[in-house]
Amino acid sequence: MADRRETTGRRSYDRREFLRHSATTALLLGGGATLLSACGSDSKDPVSTSQGGPSGNAKCGEPPKLSRPNNPATLPLCADPIKDGLDPESGTLKIFNYADYLDPETVKTFEKEYKVKVELTTFANINEAVDKLQSGAANFDLINMSPDRLGTLAAAGLIQPLNKTYIANLSNVWASLQDPFYDKGSQYTIPYTIYTTGIGYRTDKVDPSDAPPTVADATDMLFNRKHKGYAFVLDDDREALSMALLRLGFTDVNTEDPAIIAKAGTELQRMVGAVNIKISGQGYTKLPEGQAWVHQTWSGDMINAVYNLPEDLGPEVLGYWFQPDGKGLIQSDSWTIGRKAAKPVLAHRFLNFILDETNARTNIGFTGYQQPLTAITPETLIEDGVIPENLLTAVVREQDFVNGYEELQLSPKGKKIWEDEWAKFTSGAGS
Amino acid sequence: MNILGPIGRWWSNPWRKPRVLAAVTWLYLAWAIVPVIVAIQFSFNKGRSRSTWQGFSTRWYWGDPNRSVWHDATLHNALGNSIKLALLTMAICAPLGVAMAIGLTRWRGYGQKPANMLMLVPLVTPEIVFASALYLCFTTMFTAIQLGSTAQLLGHVTLSLSTVVIVVRGRLLTLGRDFEDAAQDLGATPMQALRTIIMPLLSPAIFASLMVVFATSIDDFVVSQFLSADASSETVPMKIYNSFRGTQTPAVNALATIMLAVTLLAILFAMAGLKLWRRHNGTTGSVVEDFAGLDV
Amino acid sequence: MEHRRPRWLWPTLALPGTAWLVLLFAIPFYGVVSIASGYDDPLFGAREPEWNPLHWNADSFREVWRGLESGVFGQPFVRTCTYVVLAMALCFIIGFPVAYYVARFAGKRRGLMLALLLAPFWISYLMRMLAWVNLLQQDGYVNDILAALHITSGPINWLDARWYTIVLGLVYGYVPFFILPLFASLDRIDTRLLEASKDLGVGTIRTFIHVTLPSARQGILAATAITALPMFGDYYTNQLLSSSPRTNMIGNQIQSAVQSPTSRGVGAALVLSLTLFLTILMGYYLYASNAATKDVR
Repeated sequence: MADRRETTGRRSYDRREFLRHSATTALLLGGGATLLSACGSDSKDPVSTSQGGPSGNAKCGEPPKLSRPNNPATLPLCADPIKDGLDPESGTLKIFNYADYLDPETVKTFEKEYKVKVELTTFANINEAVDKLQSGAANFDLINMSPDRLGTLAAAGLIQPLNKTYIANLSNVWASLQDPFYDKGSQYTIPYTIYTTGIGYRTDKVDPSDAPPTVADATDMLFNRKHKGYAFVLDDDREALSMALLRLGFTDVNTEDPAIIAKAGTELQRMVGAVNIKISGQGYTKLPEGQAWVHQTWSGDMINAVYNLPEDLGPEVLGYWFQPDGKGLIQSDSWTIGRKAAKPVLAHRFLNFILDETNARTNIGFTGYQQPLTAITPETLIEDGVIPENLLTAVVREQDFVNGYEELQLSPKGKKIWEDEWAKFTSGAGS
Repeated sequence: MNILGPIGRWWSNPWRKPRVLAAVTWLYLAWAIVPVIVAIQFSFNKGRSRSTWQGFSTRWYWGDPNRSVWHDATLHNALGNSIKLALLTMAICAPLGVAMAIGLTRWRGYGQKPANMLMLVPLVTPEIVFASALYLCFTTMFTAIQLGSTAQLLGHVTLSLSTVVIVVRGRLLTLGRDFEDAAQDLGATPMQALRTIIMPLLSPAIFASLMVVFATSIDDFVVSQFLSADASSETVPMKIYNSFRGTQTPAVNALATIMLAVTLLAILFAMAGLKLWRRHNGTTGSVVEDFAGLDV
Repeated sequence: MEHRRPRWLWPTLALPGTAWLVLLFAIPFYGVVSIASGYDDPLFGAREPEWNPLHWNADSFREVWRGLESGVFGQPFVRTCTYVVLAMALCFIIGFPVAYYVARFAGKRRGLMLALLLAPFWISYLMRMLAWVNLLQQDGYVNDILAALHITSGPINWLDARWYTIVLGLVYGYVPFFILPLFASLDRIDTRLLEASKDLGVGTIRTFIHVTLPSARQGILAATAITALPMFGDYYTNQLLSSSPRTNMIGNQIQSAVQSPTSRGVGAALVLSLTLFLTILMGYYLYASNAATKDVR
């Protein structure tokens, strides 16, 4: 058996490929021992040779540098993009995404246009998604990914660089996101949605004296005993803990200081005692159905919630609070193509398709999430009736990214601190 | 006793009618069945609520152009996946399990005991332990097997194999060896005795065990979920669970109802078939009894 | 009279099934140990398995131990044990009379009752939970009925992290699996024994304690084992009926740890720790069950 130092850390698809072959052989030989020894002996990894990006600061198979708005990252190119001018494949396009985060009608239009089928696999939270990709459990053509996890996926060779000749519509996107800090030169991603994280609530269920504008910080509602059993936080370690950090006055939501993160954790734990806090990612159904009165939620889900209201309720029963000075949590999500995508050309076509203004408008009409296209201004969305008057707080503008706090890439060690703190909260320890 | 009056006398009479027991039993059965009937009722709801009745419609079966079981491919694919998985699991478990049961019951000697223990352990292992073991194993060790339907099938067979062995073994033990001995006295080889004498006698038990396998597989959620790669290997229980993480409509109730109908039909057919077979072969007994008598 | 039975025949018959279980049940556990004892990759901080026992690393086990002390795993574990014990007590209280009645007194309704007893078996566990979630909603039938009977003034939020909702949910889900083996063993009790006891003037309860219970010992044991042990790994019942940290069970911690790159090692170690704990319980069942098989032979 080879020394473990040689085998760990250089994980890549090629190694998996090797393992796959050796495991098959071992199984055919019928020997468990053969199998085990095959797993230990690893050959030199062809992909780990350095292929730094233009700035030469990133390598494949090594931890990427942490991307920051004031310190952008060029992701390492660990594979070749597809050639120019290829015809799209036929068959099934496999998409990996959150539930209800893509309009079925828009998808149908794409299916008709390219005479293909789209198969949607959903994940409940981003950790689960990254795990599935990292373990190599499945291959997808298109993957929805939050920018803070991109660098690692690129360095691990799990996603493939884009050939932008297929994506002419990238020019429809906000200038700031055509060349984003998390992926200089948009080598791997196109931006999908922009959203803030705030507090959604039912104006008909909570007392006006407990809700904005009476309360300055709407997260208070998650500690108010009157909302016991009807209060939720997002099923996302970073979103929930970051909310607690801001509440406590810490504005560095990318800290890796265990002491500060622990304080945020303690704050979350207080909610267990106060309101039997629940965990869910479905503010857009729980609020309109009345299972939630207060729900930490994404601005897009809040718009979506309007469509899920029962027939006898109007949009005025929904309220959304985001820090009025704009100093709150704000993010964008992106699309990327899997390294082992079976239909890479079709996937490129889809990226171009979803950046088309008409398609994007239809899509927003279902998901409720704004897409950062220059032509789609908040004003036009309000005019079209996509965003109701009383939910203007859920509107995101380019300027908000300057004032708000983005959850950015963490080191693996830092990520573990956040996840451990989250596990402590979900365990209900100390309650 | 007299101090307690008529109630005391009634209670201490060993031959009284077990009215309390009867009441408990019927209450239990109502408790067990009524919620399911309500879930079925809501599959026919006109609106999208799953708790307030808004009138009868078949919207969630085929009426709704996007979200009904008929029109939403992910829903009816899940049904197909569940049934396919259950049938394949049965097909693999039957020969494997029956052979193992006969082998383990008759085999004396080194290796029998550990093999027997190994067979019993899966029965009492929590599914999450077993599912995460297989998940970690398929993603790091047996990487030749991709997650998805194949991995799920392997998982389901492993999960249900012991049931077949246990049920068939129970029957074998009650049969004893007299039949085989008699056959061999008359000159049959052990294999012939097995094939012509033992197998027919085992049939009801094999049948009952396969029904359990079918039920286990079609009901399984944890193993299916852990070993699923993408939407193409989603099963009905996964779909029901996932519906809690997205927009919920009565369509998922409709899916569960269809699944229930399919299962019940399959069982009725199977029972009728077995009854015919029994009449033909002149054996007696009730299928329900066979099944209920399964012993772990 | 001894017949020629080739010695190879029986082991050969048992071989394919045994090989299957070795390959897909025993070896995966070696995989879990290798992951629990492996090293993190520098990219994701994801756990890579270490196949060579000489290089095994106990960090994850230490973390589980710390977690048991600090409450991250300790609290859910204690909670899980409490829920399981309460649920088993209820299973016994509900399941025993039912199994006993159907086995002994069902009379001509026996077929019907058996079919009804078996019914939950054919209905997906998750569908039955779904049914309850719908019933227990604020505007669901349970609150409607309670209000109609003037038992409660306003709707009760049953899904508000209530321990008894979870325990009842567990009982509802698992009790059919408890009743069946119990029924099978009660059904086999020789009724003449019970009648003799009554003829001798022994009261119902004493007959039950001194005759019925001992004869059904094996059945009770089996029923308890196949109901209680899987309950320890349950994570979806409380997710559907509460999804609050307050009712978090050890299965939830395992599920989220195993399916996250940075916690995979701890997840594997948790799986092994739970297995170790349950082995003690399982061990008794396997021992007793083996002994019983021997008796029959």
